Amino acid sequence: MDTPTPSPADNQPEQEAYPVEPRYHPIHKIPRKIYDFLASARLAMVLLVTILACCISGVTLWRGAEAGRMVFGALWFNSILVLLVVNIACCFFGRIWGRRVTLISFGMILFHLCFVSVLLGVVYNSLFYFRGIIRLTEGEALPSGDPRSYDSYEQGRFFSFSRLKGETTLIKMHAGFKIGGEDKRAAYEVAVGEGGDRSKGIIYITHKLSHHGVDYFNDREGYSLLVILSDNQGRELYGGHVPLQSIRQKNGSFKYSTGYRDGETVKQDVILFPPPPDKPLVALQLGYILSKLKERSGDAEFALFPLDLNDKPLFNMKIAEGKSPIGNKFAAGNYQILAKEVRYWVGMTVRYEPGNAIVLPSLWVGLAGMMITTIGRILRGRRKRI
Amino acid sequence: MKPELQLFWIAVGLYGVSTFSYIFGLIARQEKLFTLGLFSALAGFLPHVGVIALRWSATGISPFISISESITLGTFMTVLIFLIFQFSTKKLRPLGVLVMPVAFVLLGWAGTLMKDVASTLAPALQSGWIWVHIVGASAGFASVLIAAGLGLLYLLKEKNSGGLYEKLPDLAAIDDLSYRFISGGFILYGLMIVSGCFWSNQVKGNYWNWDPVEVWSLVSWLTYGIYLHLRITFGWRGRKLAWYALIALVAMIVSYWGIPFSVETFHSGFRIEHT
Repeated sequence: MDTPTPSPADNQPEQEAYPVEPRYHPIHKIPRKIYDFLASARLAMVLLVTILACCISGVTLWRGAEAGRMVFGALWFNSILVLLVVNIACCFFGRIWGRRVTLISFGMILFHLCFVSVLLGVVYNSLFYFRGIIRLTEGEALPSGDPRSYDSYEQGRFFSFSRLKGETTLIKMHAGFKIGGEDKRAAYEVAVGEGGDRSKGIIYITHKLSHHGVDYFNDREGYSLLVILSDNQGRELYGGHVPLQSIRQKNGSFKYSTGYRDGETVKQDVILFPPPPDKPLVALQLGYILSKLKERSGDAEFALFPLDLNDKPLFNMKIAEGKSPIGNKFAAGNYQILAKEVRYWVGMTVRYEPGNAIVLPSLWVGLAGMMITTIGRILRGRRKRI
Repeated sequence: MKPELQLFWIAVGLYGVSTFSYIFGLIARQEKLFTLGLFSALAGFLPHVGVIALRWSATGISPFISISESITLGTFMTVLIFLIFQFSTKKLRPLGVLVMPVAFVLLGWAGTLMKDVASTLAPALQSGWIWVHIVGASAGFASVLIAAGLGLLYLLKEKNSGGLYEKLPDLAAIDDLSYRFISGGFILYGLMIVSGCFWSNQVKGNYWNWDPVEVWSLVSWLTYGIYLHLRITFGWRGRKLAWYALIALVAMIVSYWGIPFSVETFHSGFRIEHT
């Protein structure tokens, strides 16, 4: 155990003693103990069984976000994964030490190296990544490098917003988009970048837009009504696009209304109109009933409520409630309200994950390693029989 | 009854005949019943192919999307590999004792879940990766099921002697063959997971999200990874691994079809909320 085992003769298959132990050992006592622990086959087995048990509990005892919090996103679980990779690295290093490279060991090296490179890619990602959700109405452009442009975002410690240059523009949302006879349902025509350095393209669910390593994916879309509030003399007080939420009904259809997302559910609610920081005049609940005959037409439903001094809606003093076709004004007490046009809003996922360039190819390398090893073992088995 | 359903239940019926032929063949130690079982399986395989072809030709959409279609493909691949294996080596005739009952039960279950073929394919599923993914998954399942069948033969041969057991290859050869099928299944599951990662990355921009389908596929892969580790690093052979292969198969069926299709995940397609 203390000294490297001499290589066997080339024409003899190597005889293993189980469990297979590393052939390389550091000379000094303490590093040697640490190394032997990390390179132990028993440790590998304990870790594999532990991870298996954690995975099963993460899809049976807990579900969804709770599983993420309790297991998969927890520091202890990720520490086990890192320990497994370290164990794999030590195991394969210790076992190829002083051993001739065969088809089997070459495949093993590739397979085990892939775990190490996947870990490196994951660590690289965790330091430099950016993930955000940007929401745009057709015709709208937002500065890509401004954190306020994103509904939500998370970033790695070393990510800089200066990487996201120029603007992100939603030119058009194409409903019922087809390509090669396949219905992609929704596609976003998007432009990203600044000046002459712009990328423009159409993204749909299996096709992203990339610009300087930043990827844009389609996520979700909805309707947005251009609402104009006027006084009863017809003077415009405020106008703006109001994005609507899609609320699934019991019969499977959707209701389109102002509201908010609460976890996985969407709830109908009023909005302050004009929205802060402008001084709100009313609380508005807006709905849209789409026409089945013509796209971007139908009726708008309104419910207006006055506000108290703290801009809280007074729900028991409704100003008016009713509906009118898109493009027609609706009289509401001292106001007139108009849903002038229907546009789409879209939510896009913006991702910058430079580590993927390491992680994804590593997966193929690992798979190739598995195949090479298996072929090597089959060939060795045949040689033995002959 | 539609022609595709008629063919489907004919296939199930013939697999049933095959199942009982194998079981009674084992009980009565009658090799002729194994031959009947094998040819019943072959006869059932033809309408099985016919069902897939009819469903595919009806809309042009690959019929491997819903749970019943997924099970139908899994059993198709299992019986295909089983038949190829059986007709290429005649020494393992009783192998169908495990393979055909599982195929019979699974296909019957698929029949109870069967719906009309989808008229459209969810956009998220319109990806070339789906082919690599489903071939990896179904062929992987077929491999580990055959490995479990070999594990059962190992245990039977170890416990019994004479007659048909005498004609089986020696224990070490059965053990080695089972290991090879597990290795093949492990690689194919690896292919399924890797292609799933690329597919997810193409659609969502992340290759791994710890969602239930991903985790269950990892459970299957780790289960067989542990098998290989026990064999290669710890030197396990024979009975212990034969039992392991049989028990792992149960975990495999649960992880493949029991859970992932019961929760809303990537496999359900994507919700487009404005439609």
